[in-house]
Amino acid sequence: MVIGLEVHAQLKTSSKLFSSSPNQFGSDPNENVNFIDSGMPGMLPVLNFGCIEKAIKTGFALNFTINKHSVFERKNYFYPDLPQGYQISQFEFPILTEGFINIESGQNQKKIRIERAHLEQDAGKSIHDIDPKYSFIDLNRVGTPLLEIVSYPDLKSADEVVSYMSSLRQVLMYIDVCDGNMQEGSLRADVNLSIRKPGGELGTRCEIKNLNSFKFIRQAIEYEFQRQIEVIESGGVIEQNTMLFDTSSGETRAMRSKEFSHDYRYFPDPDLLPVNITQEQIDKIQHTVGELPSQKLERYINELKIEKDIAKIIIAEKENTDVFEKIHNETEVPPKLIASWLVGDIFAFIKENNLDVLSLLNKTKAIGELLKLILDDIISNKIGKEILPRVLNDQGSPSEIVKEMDLEQVSDSGELEKIIDDALKGEEDNISKYQGGSDRVLGYFVGKCIKATKGKGNPKLINKLLLKKLQK
Amino acid sequence: MKQSISQIKSSLQKKEISVEELHDEFFKIAKSNINNSYNLILDKEHNKSFITESQKRYDNSKPLPLDGIPLGIKDLFCTKGIRTTASSKILSNFIPNYESFVTQQLLKDGSIFLGKNNCDEFAMGSSNETSHFGPVVNPWKNKNEPDNNLVPGGSSGGSAAAVAEGSCVASMGTDTGGSIRQPASLCGIVGLKPTFGSCSRWGIVAFASSLDQAGPLTNCVEDAAHILNSISKFDFNDSTSSNHTRDDYVSELNQKTDQKIKIGIPSDYLQGVSKDILNQIENTKKVLSKNNIEFLDVKFSTTEYALSTYYILAPAEASSNLARYDGIRYGVREKGENLDDIYLNSRTEGFGDEVTRRILIGAYVLSAGYYDAYYRQAQKVRRLIKNDFQRIFEEVDFILTPTTPNEAFKIGDKLDPISMYKNDIYTVPTSLAGLPGISIPSGLSSNGLPLGIQFIGNYFQEKKLLQIAALAEKELAFNE
Amino acid sequence: MSDIDIKRISYLAKLKLPEEKEEFYANSLKEIIKWVDNLKKIDTKEVKPLHNVTEKTESIRNDEVYKNNSVEEILDNAPERAQNFFKVPKVVE
Ligand SMILES: [Mg+2]
Ligand SMILES: [Zn+2]
Repeated sequence: MVIGLEVHAQLKTSSKLFSSSPNQFGSDPNENVNFIDSGMPGMLPVLNFGCIEKAIKTGFALNFTINKHSVFERKNYFYPDLPQGYQISQFEFPILTEGFINIESGQNQKKIRIERAHLEQDAGKSIHDIDPKYSFIDLNRVGTPLLEIVSYPDLKSADEVVSYMSSLRQVLMYIDVCDGNMQEGSLRADVNLSIRKPGGELGTRCEIKNLNSFKFIRQAIEYEFQRQIEVIESGGVIEQNTMLFDTSSGETRAMRSKEFSHDYRYFPDPDLLPVNITQEQIDKIQHTVGELPSQKLERYINELKIEKDIAKIIIAEKENTDVFEKIHNETEVPPKLIASWLVGDIFAFIKENNLDVLSLLNKTKAIGELLKLILDDIISNKIGKEILPRVLNDQGSPSEIVKEMDLEQVSDSGELEKIIDDALKGEEDNISKYQGGSDRVLGYFVGKCIKATKGKGNPKLINKLLLKKLQK
Repeated sequence: MKQSISQIKSSLQKKEISVEELHDEFFKIAKSNINNSYNLILDKEHNKSFITESQKRYDNSKPLPLDGIPLGIKDLFCTKGIRTTASSKILSNFIPNYESFVTQQLLKDGSIFLGKNNCDEFAMGSSNETSHFGPVVNPWKNKNEPDNNLVPGGSSGGSAAAVAEGSCVASMGTDTGGSIRQPASLCGIVGLKPTFGSCSRWGIVAFASSLDQAGPLTNCVEDAAHILNSISKFDFNDSTSSNHTRDDYVSELNQKTDQKIKIGIPSDYLQGVSKDILNQIENTKKVLSKNNIEFLDVKFSTTEYALSTYYILAPAEASSNLARYDGIRYGVREKGENLDDIYLNSRTEGFGDEVTRRILIGAYVLSAGYYDAYYRQAQKVRRLIKNDFQRIFEEVDFILTPTTPNEAFKIGDKLDPISMYKNDIYTVPTSLAGLPGISIPSGLSSNGLPLGIQFIGNYFQEKKLLQIAALAEKELAFNE
Repeated sequence: MSDIDIKRISYLAKLKLPEEKEEFYANSLKEIIKWVDNLKKIDTKEVKPLHNVTEKTESIRNDEVYKNNSVEEILDNAPERAQNFFKVPKVVE
């Protein structure tokens, strides 16, 4: 199976590609539409430089050649969601050419080559399920900037496609180019799939349009793969077709066949002039790219000494790293401690309570403080875990909570010695067992002492004092 | 003789006439619409507040540059709240909620719109016969066949006829391949196509985006300068708008330079033209020669390719520009069983023959397999044409040509599209090169019909172009 | 010049020419295409296409939102609408 992907990423801009109406999801119908978007007579496009910036950032992140000269052309076709009767896109001179991304394929890394990425307008939306006879058109999405990223057919399995798509998504979210929200259509994939017998010639490809979840991508590929095999094995031929994936049946089917094939009649948009970018502009944008996921992973492991598995969990989502790095910048707690708490109890809390990771951003001070209390032996790790939910529920600062509940760790040697003395009373048997070589008894004594302090005793100190006493 | 904008303003200032009286004078002629030069005439009620406001400014001796001047507007400019049809059935019910950049400027400068001038459908035509609202009649008559109705030229035929019949002081037109200059010539008035990028295309129903340019049709060169002062401005919302500083085109219009002026006459333009046309050029040479002007023979190497280039590029752009007319969001929707039928029926019924023809040509030259041979080749030849002009402008200050190869012809006379297209043979090269051109009336044909000459200037040299046109106008004394 | 497939071109242009007009347009097109065919004899190998005489634009805007029209102004010319949607017969994929 040979697969190439065309990924459409909606750019995270305030306004549209060629008009200054809002680029926003979820508004009332036709609320974000101006006269340009609705294709009124005489309306003209003006390019949004924000989109060029985002494209160039992507260029750096995906190792593209950034073309200083690019040209917007018109792709002519009729569709009710397409008010102008053409889509402004880039054809002969796209802004980005020849990039690549490394993905994980099983245990290995694999380099996926990307042919090009170009800027274009999104179309509107037709709503078909309100009325049996009519469709309703909402043009809010018209003109939303898209970056279409076209890979070479380097992908060989559904797993690789999903890995490629998620790596792409991760990078685009890191550099703040796309919000990655596939459900809302911010990231969609067209899958071009063909099959080849080992050593045989590559078959005709079919394009499955507009897949907007990893699950659907996987299902569609698996279904289409089987379908093509069955066609070939029963002696048929694969027709070059544009397919739709039916999400309810899990099947692909060809779009209503057209009387004539498409002919988009691309030509340079005469309302626009070529985009010419200077080296200075490119350099300036390069500074805004920031750290990419792969670079971050390396830094977390090598500089911050975070375990690889934990580091990977954190970098999986950009928002995790935002939270992690904010805590790291605000406190002097070792990054390793932050990382393990984040990936452990803190994420567990987020998951249990169905919260957004980003909601942690205004709790980073409190988290840092909590970890510092533990680090400084003011509270025990155990107490820390116990009070974490209160901290994350904004029920006071960690130190307040600790004070209020009287949870400060007892680290006064005098006080602890007394407790130890009490604990050792009547334990002559166990003491002699210990002295006879049974280490297990030590744990028992530590536990007893901590219990006596209602969990507040500093375990390390208790341990130390106990050892001293028992050696006497 | 008709009064110029300056003269009218002076009468208004001196209270010899009120803004309302002025309006009524033109309104009356417009209302009769004998030549079908209007698709829509605004009733007085609509303009009442404009008239009152304008009068107030005169009363306070603070009139705006075009205060109270009654104008016609080609029905290709979107006018807010006023029906804008491009003389097409498909837009025959369209009322824009926005005002084109150019008409905004004219309103800001105090002018008053009388109505929307008839034109060829989507500005495609050279005789104003393609309009959904019927042909416009040229106010001039052939003295040998006075009963025949003649075409006013096109596509700004309604604008030209309106100015010539005296139903407005001036009219705004648009010129893609000659649509201002050619009708001006056939109607015996002045028509200016500014340099591409001088006047914003924002809000003008697009025909061919890389060629369309707004400009005035007026009784005299000075009026054209007045209008140009108002409309020639940088507009951020038109990405092809030029951001150079504009001159004041009126103040030094009649100023003479001591420098010798060189005018090139392309002799290849004159091969095989009629005696009448040749006379215009000869006469112009004669009357101007007493000034410090030298006439030179210049040779273009691309003339024979200009029309072909134009009739590939303009339809190509048009086929795409007119894709938005589908009966979905605005305009006339025809009945249909399903969506595809609505598209097909609305477009097929909505467009007239010439528009249909050009859409088909455009789709053809852009289609797979033909793009390189036609569209791309035409784009390349377009550069050769531009270079050709640039080479000649290294030798001369202006180029002088006839505006049209013939006088106004009978309505219905030219049925074959190619012979119609050939009407624009002298105006199209300038349009392809994006250069400014002005047509002024130069004399009468043997049939007593007006003929025009065209001066072509270098990029953004409108000031000098208007100066030479004003000089020629004075010497030719057509209006006297 | 190859033959003109008028059906295909009108399909691309979303026009439904009545049968009797197909030939008229086909012939007309053929003639015009023949007429413009003279461009083919020019050697343009070294020439760059000229899309627009203005070759540099001043109009590139910053990514800012500006909108001063209402939904009503977008919809009030619509031949058919349902609330704030444009309404069309169902699209069949
Ligand atoms: Mg695709
Ligand atoms: Zn795309």
